[in-house]
Amino acid sequence: MSFYKIILTVGFISLFHSAFSAAQHRSYLRITSQEFTTLPLDIVIQAVGSLFLLMWGVLNVAGNLREIQAAAELNNKTWETQKNIPSFYIFNHRLKAMSPYYVPNEGKGDLENLE
Amino acid sequence: MYNYEELSINEIFDLLRKWRDNNERKSNEIMSLSERIMDNLDSQPNEKYLILEQLIMADLDCNYPMLAAKWIEMLDADFPDSLRVMKFKSMWYEAHDNYEQAFGILNKIIKADEINAPPALKRCIAITKAMGMTNEAITKLVEYLNQFMSDMEAWQELSELYLQVQEYSRAAFCIEELILHQPHNHLFHQRLADIRYTMGGVENMELAKTYYCQTLKLNPNNMRALLGLILAANNLLGHYKSSGSAKRKEVWKLCQWAQSEVTKRQREAQGSNDSALTSAMLALTIGD
Repeated sequence: MSFYKIILTVGFISLFHSAFSAAQHRSYLRITSQEFTTLPLDIVIQAVGSLFLLMWGVLNVAGNLREIQAAAELNNKTWETQKNIPSFYIFNHRLKAMSPYYVPNEGKGDLENLE
Repeated sequence: MYNYEELSINEIFDLLRKWRDNNERKSNEIMSLSERIMDNLDSQPNEKYLILEQLIMADLDCNYPMLAAKWIEMLDADFPDSLRVMKFKSMWYEAHDNYEQAFGILNKIIKADEINAPPALKRCIAITKAMGMTNEAITKLVEYLNQFMSDMEAWQELSELYLQVQEYSRAAFCIEELILHQPHNHLFHQRLADIRYTMGGVENMELAKTYYCQTLKLNPNNMRALLGLILAANNLLGHYKSSGSAKRKEVWKLCQWAQSEVTKRQREAQGSNDSALTSAMLALTIGD
């Protein structure tokens, strides 16, 4: 068990103890039929002190904080997909010649005949 | 890579959706899957027409006009007089080098409906580009952007076109515009740095260095930016050689850091230190 978990346990016990003390104080007042004004100072200090102890313990038990990436989903994109724009596709490109329906245009045919 | 024969039909549709959402131009791959897609198209009623459009694009891209014509007719039967289908018809003519007819259809779309004008206008620009008239395409695209200034795709296309005619400063301006639209996209920062690096000169090199650093800040895994940073920093070291100033020291430190990062990545990737690229990069470095 790490140091901070011990702190956490101690904090919880101390907080419950102060709550229990407050209840005890109220019942003591009721038995001695005195008017309730405020809680005794030591209970208040114990409650507040153990609260801060708890907060400190929890912060350290929860682990280190991590940076939030502003655009994590954009980081998987590559330029190859980013630069591809469907609305500006052109069909006048090399892949055309791979198709069985390809008819070489006349300009090129003339060039071949020249040689 | 995928083995297309072994994919189940659901996997195929998932793959198509992925390609559609990511704007990937996988025309050949879609073609090789098209038979199985067609057999099972009715099992996807929600996406049927989107998939059909994807198929048409792939067919036109691979120059299978008969197939494309069949799908376009299917769409036409379901949506008669649809402007969206008309756009595909114009693309079909475009794929046949029949640009006059394609322009005719597009002009009809633009006249018929103001709201549907932007896609048709973009097609007009694409056709101009396909005809090889890059300068005219640029003029048209600038006109288009005067009207629709928030169209990111158009800005990106304009930057590509400017790069083709070697107008680097204008291309850089377009990318800056894109960065304003999407400040968190590391690819635009990287692109701008690439352009600035290509332009050369101390000032541009400084800018390239800054933008590469910004790219790495947004996405530490961007390898291209890391290598670009090394090149830009090395270039700057050459410029600052005479002045042994604080600037030179800073660039030197940056260069060292980038090199150690690259080495680390490569060690992770291969498990060995003596890779060819590292030694090539180190050979480029100017000794202090």
